Amino acid sequence: MSENQQKEYWRWKEYNWKNPEIPDWKGGLVTAGVDVGSTSSQAVICVDGQLYAYASMRTGSDSPSSALNAINWAMEGTGLTLQDINFTVGTGYGRVNVPFANKAVTEIACHARGANFMYGPSVRTLLDMGGQDCKAIHCDDKGKVTSFLMNDKCAAGTGRGMEVFANLLAVSIEDVGDMSFNVETEPDPVSSTCVVFAKTEATGLLRAGWSKEKVLAAYCSAMASRVVSLLERNGMELDFAITGGIAKNPGVVKRIEKLLGVQALTPKYDTQIAGALGGALFAKALVEKSAKVAK
Amino acid sequence: MFEQFKNWFESRHDYAKDWKERTGGKVIGYFCTYVPEEILYAADVLPVRCLGGHEPQDVTEPHIFGMFCPFCRDVLAQGLKDKFDYLDGITISQSCLHLRQAYTSWDMHKPVEFSYYLPMPHHVQSLASRPFLRSELVKFKEAVEKWTGKTLTDADLDRGIEIVNTNRRLLKQIFELRKADVPPLTGLEAMYLVLSSQMTDKREHNKALKELLDQLPGRKVEREIGERLMILGSENDDVPFTEMVEDVCGATFVIDDHCTGTRYFWNEVIPKEDRLQAIADRYVDRVPCPTKDWPKRLRVDHIKNLVEEYRVQGVIVVQQKFCDPHELDIPAIQQSLKDIDVPTLFLEFDVTAPLGPFRIRVEAFLEMMRQDDLF
Repeated sequence: MSENQQKEYWRWKEYNWKNPEIPDWKGGLVTAGVDVGSTSSQAVICVDGQLYAYASMRTGSDSPSSALNAINWAMEGTGLTLQDINFTVGTGYGRVNVPFANKAVTEIACHARGANFMYGPSVRTLLDMGGQDCKAIHCDDKGKVTSFLMNDKCAAGTGRGMEVFANLLAVSIEDVGDMSFNVETEPDPVSSTCVVFAKTEATGLLRAGWSKEKVLAAYCSAMASRVVSLLERNGMELDFAITGGIAKNPGVVKRIEKLLGVQALTPKYDTQIAGALGGALFAKALVEKSAKVAK
Repeated sequence: MFEQFKNWFESRHDYAKDWKERTGGKVIGYFCTYVPEEILYAADVLPVRCLGGHEPQDVTEPHIFGMFCPFCRDVLAQGLKDKFDYLDGITISQSCLHLRQAYTSWDMHKPVEFSYYLPMPHHVQSLASRPFLRSELVKFKEAVEKWTGKTLTDADLDRGIEIVNTNRRLLKQIFELRKADVPPLTGLEAMYLVLSSQMTDKREHNKALKELLDQLPGRKVEREIGERLMILGSENDDVPFTEMVEDVCGATFVIDDHCTGTRYFWNEVIPKEDRLQAIADRYVDRVPCPTKDWPKRLRVDHIKNLVEEYRVQGVIVVQQKFCDPHELDIPAIQQSLKDIDVPTLFLEFDVTAPLGPFRIRVEAFLEMMRQDDLF
């Protein structure tokens, strides 16, 4: 087997981060959101509703341990233990399998809340491009969902589809977007967005002499048109923002913007943590609400 | 309290076979709720509805077009796999194209002694539909008479009308109770009532409904009611989905608009000297299926009335995949509900519903209504 085949091109960076502006969590209200997605898991820790620390990693075959790994990594170096967290909201595909969560909330509500924090209250239309599905969400100025639409039952237009292409073309997933602009003229999108069929189609295109860049451009553009039709079915209202892993792929984002004729807001944080962040913010609201009831 | 109805639904075939043995009568399978059961009851024939089995199957592929709905496919599979091997007859009233193909293919592959295609008019909003349907009912009655060897008198027809009308009246009285703040029955229980009525002898069913009606007023659903939901759209006998929405997601269906629900029994035959005309009028005037709801979309106002009467907070709109008549109606229905600030969730049904993906959609939909707790 050649070295090329052994390399996992789809593998994106797993990492953790701690906010240098918050020196200590002690004395604050510590809440967490854990988003166990189909493909990636994130844990976000907030102190008094401010982003304090987070971690992002691949979801394993077992949701409870993926959730634990993510929160442990987010807590690394902070001195926090699970006992110090006042309230945890589980979200994502594995939301009911987060063993230390106090409540489960769907990622649809969490992403809208997270996007409200990340992009500000002007966001009205949100596109969450996740590992195995994508969602068009409308929300109000508080980040409350007013309507949503999800894609149907396949991986077309999702992160997993992009991973399959990165592997097929032996291009690192983080380079896919930029590379896809390296074409003289923009090719037509691959005609099938089904990941399995698109892969077959791409193999044919490579054999016909297309460059990797051109095939990537054709796939990014197919993915963009697929999600644009989802957005249009739900209606577009500005401002527009994108969350989820694919938001980091300019090859898809710029093509979506071009098709829609709108610019997406520029993210201040990692777009992949929006769901977990929304969960941590909901956790804060839930703690405060129960404190009020207790009084 | 609902065990009997659930059992009837789950062991429909055993019930029908047992009925045949007990009574020595004939059983007819019907494909669409526009079949005039009054005439069949008048002839002492037991009509049972041919519904799907919600199991993957591999027998219909050569017989049904690829883009036809999963329901018609599932129904035909039941025939081809001999699940209804006790039937003496089959019948369909002109329904959608998809279900008609299920009927004609069943008829071709599993012939029985009586098979009848009743040309129910689609254009029920035309005045001509009344005399037209009456004349077709004359032919249908004659065919049934020839088949059973029994001449149907006005007294027979009156008896048939009374049996079916009583069933409709009782179901409606029970459904009326669902308007309460805490309904005495869940959506799933209501579903069992209507579905079992389509596959049992209505005389027995009426007796059970009467007993239930005596007991229900004191009963309250034990769990929290949660959001009051309506479910509407194409044929729906998907028990696992209904169970999930009510038991896992914590909402309650308080009303529906399905041909396996209210559309089936909402209207009674209004007695007239001309019995067949009275029956024809009932089918022309009933809450329409989308194949018959044009050029005016009368169902939209009906649905809005139900939403108001049953204080519905949200509506789940379901459609059998590829069901064109419903697909064409759904945007208008969703828009009209949006106009009165009632949120809707659209789901596409297949032979089996994907519970995981549907659960997240339903939960997010409910959260949208209850998310004040989160802010």
